Amino acid sequence: MGSSGEKVVAVIMVGGPTKGTRFRPLSLNVAKPLFPLAGQPMVHHPISACKRIPNLAQIYLVGFYEEREFALYVSSISNELKVPVRYLREEKPHGSAGGLYNFRDRIMEDSPSHIFLLNCDVCCSFPLQEMLEAHRRYGGMGTILVIKVSAESASQFGELVADPDTKELLHYTEKPETFVSDLINCGVYVFTPDIFTAIQGVSSQRKDRANLRRVSSFEALQSATRSLPTDFVRLDQDILSPLAGKKQLYTYETMDFWEQIKTPGMSLKCSALYLAQFRYTSPHLLASGDGSKSATIIGDVFIHPSAKVHPTAKIGPNVSISANARIGPGARLISCIILDDVEVMENAVVIHAIVGWKSSIGRWSRVQAAGDFNAKLGITILGEAVSVEDEVVVVNSIVLPNKTLNVSVQEEIIL
Amino acid sequence: MKALILVGGFGTRLRPLTLSVPKPLVEFANKPMILHQIEALKEIGVTEVVLAINYQPEVMLNFLKEFEAKLGIKITCSQETEPLGTAGPLALARDKLIDDSGEPFFVLNSDVISEYPLKEMIEFHKAHGGEASIMVTKVDEPSKYGVVVMEESTGKVERFVEKPKIFVGNKINAGIYLLNPSVLNRIELRPTSIEKEVFPKIAADKQLYGMVLPGFWMDIGQPRDYITGLRLYLDSLRKKSSSRLATGPHVVGNVLVDETAKIGDGCLIGPDVAIGPGCVVESGVRLSRCTVMRGVRIKKHACISSSIIGWHSTVGQWARVENMTILGEDVHVCDEIYSNGGVVLPHKEIKSSILKPEIVM
Repeated sequence: MGSSGEKVVAVIMVGGPTKGTRFRPLSLNVAKPLFPLAGQPMVHHPISACKRIPNLAQIYLVGFYEEREFALYVSSISNELKVPVRYLREEKPHGSAGGLYNFRDRIMEDSPSHIFLLNCDVCCSFPLQEMLEAHRRYGGMGTILVIKVSAESASQFGELVADPDTKELLHYTEKPETFVSDLINCGVYVFTPDIFTAIQGVSSQRKDRANLRRVSSFEALQSATRSLPTDFVRLDQDILSPLAGKKQLYTYETMDFWEQIKTPGMSLKCSALYLAQFRYTSPHLLASGDGSKSATIIGDVFIHPSAKVHPTAKIGPNVSISANARIGPGARLISCIILDDVEVMENAVVIHAIVGWKSSIGRWSRVQAAGDFNAKLGITILGEAVSVEDEVVVVNSIVLPNKTLNVSVQEEIIL
Repeated sequence: MKALILVGGFGTRLRPLTLSVPKPLVEFANKPMILHQIEALKEIGVTEVVLAINYQPEVMLNFLKEFEAKLGIKITCSQETEPLGTAGPLALARDKLIDDSGEPFFVLNSDVISEYPLKEMIEFHKAHGGEASIMVTKVDEPSKYGVVVMEESTGKVERFVEKPKIFVGNKINAGIYLLNPSVLNRIELRPTSIEKEVFPKIAADKQLYGMVLPGFWMDIGQPRDYITGLRLYLDSLRKKSSSRLATGPHVVGNVLVDETAKIGDGCLIGPDVAIGPGCVVESGVRLSRCTVMRGVRIKKHACISSSIIGWHSTVGQWARVENMTILGEDVHVCDEIYSNGGVVLPHKEIKSSILKPEIVM
């Protein structure tokens, strides 16, 4: 069992540029893990959560992006949090478990007793300490963070069945067509180093089958995994499913919020969730004001210290304003993310939108959307350096970088 | 003799193609757009071309090095730090355009495709002795553009009318100018419009003359006009009996095929098609009124019309792609899919049909 001197290592999977175009148009300008939610890069939230784990030795970010995309961030966050954070680049895709296995030597350098595996694009309260304590009690190889969702939405995720008393994982299936369970996989796990043995087991099994196949062509027709390389191991299908019910894997249920950040619309929703969380964990990060000396603030609002907001503006709820942004007199911002160097001019209105870096919002112009985080055009998104001229109205639209809008638009994608 | 090509900015109207490559380097009829102009300038003796750019200079500079050597013409860049409009860049490049010879210099707009009768323009310019010459072209719907009102016999420009509501003339600015160095004294280094501020003043001084452009003209800055422009360009090649046009039983009308492209059996290609280097067109394919960029594979039995297929994309077997479908770089249309006007951003796979024009991000 764990003693308080044992070290813990965290691994955060950050993905890569070709995987998924759902984060466009924002991903045309920034790597998704670095897109800000509630004023901090997306990956910052799981990293800060990891920092709260006692005896944390190291945090690894694993992904396909070029090293230089993360170099600056990684060195500044290491300094700020006083914990080593390193980016490890996967040369080729190994699958969610294969990636972990690929870097096992680095991960095991500090001889950790436990390894956390988190997905960067998950938005939740990351109850990592509680998960670790539960994991130690269960005594298994791994513990999965799970949450109850509505029966209708469960099929988008990995559905799990857990023993209500022992919390053991009894059954796991990825995106099933029929209803299995309303308990789903949150994409946050804690393992003991035995996980590497399990992953290697899958690899060898696949290698053996591949060798066998050269002998039996009938086998070749049967196997669904014949096209997967032997070192490509998926956590869900190859580890969780087969090991369910074998007293190796357990579950820890979170009662807090949980969302996946796959689209720009979801990033606005998750930014609001994190801002609400700041109210409890770090209220000093949130802005306040009543219109006398500084702008009127409603609800949860983050304003970067270098941003300038005119005292007659009214901001919030759910607004995040990034570095060097300028919000002019009489502006009204509701449920939006204003990125670096944006200028919002007098009396402009922004509702349910993301305004890209260096954009400008003209006087009396209106940038808004219905606010349906899941719809394709549910949030208005302005890419980098978009200029909305005075009095123009932009509704439920997506505008790619470097465009100037001098006429109003509705329900459009503007390339 | 010198020339300036106004390359300008982001080329957003040619997205998604310009998400991968800066606009002047997007190929037209299998040759980067800007190369058509540079070659025409070289042919009449221009020794130095200045590119006025304000976006992605690194990509442009690499291209230049390659072509400077190949073409034997000096190519330099003049980079705007803020957008200077259509006249400001001339002021910025002043030192590069003026030498002691006092010769006039050409200014071309990078989106324009035409036959470039530059030699005739030089003669026209010498004959009238005015400060500036501007090429004009006849269009059917002049009120979409800036109309140039000129004296019929001499070509002397009386005035410019932007998007006229009543008919004042049918000749519009074709974006090709020949200017005496003295014109630079009229342009300040600030965002300025050559049509709205500079030319009207020269016309008032009775120093501006317009020459009607013989042959075709097209602004290919957006996909619809790009496709029409290809038809006009290939038509003009045909008139010059160019050996560059493809021949054979599988060819209909004017078709350009790069020598490294492969075409299978039973295909019908044309009219008005350009197929780029390294393309593979498998058997039984029908292509009409379309451009197929470098490295594309069109699989068997597919049918493509009025579309642009971006670099290294693939179009699946029996797929039907038509009605202004624009595929960005590395887009893969699955077998049997129908795309009716889909505009697809780079690095996408199209697994379900696009029944009406829509943007796929």
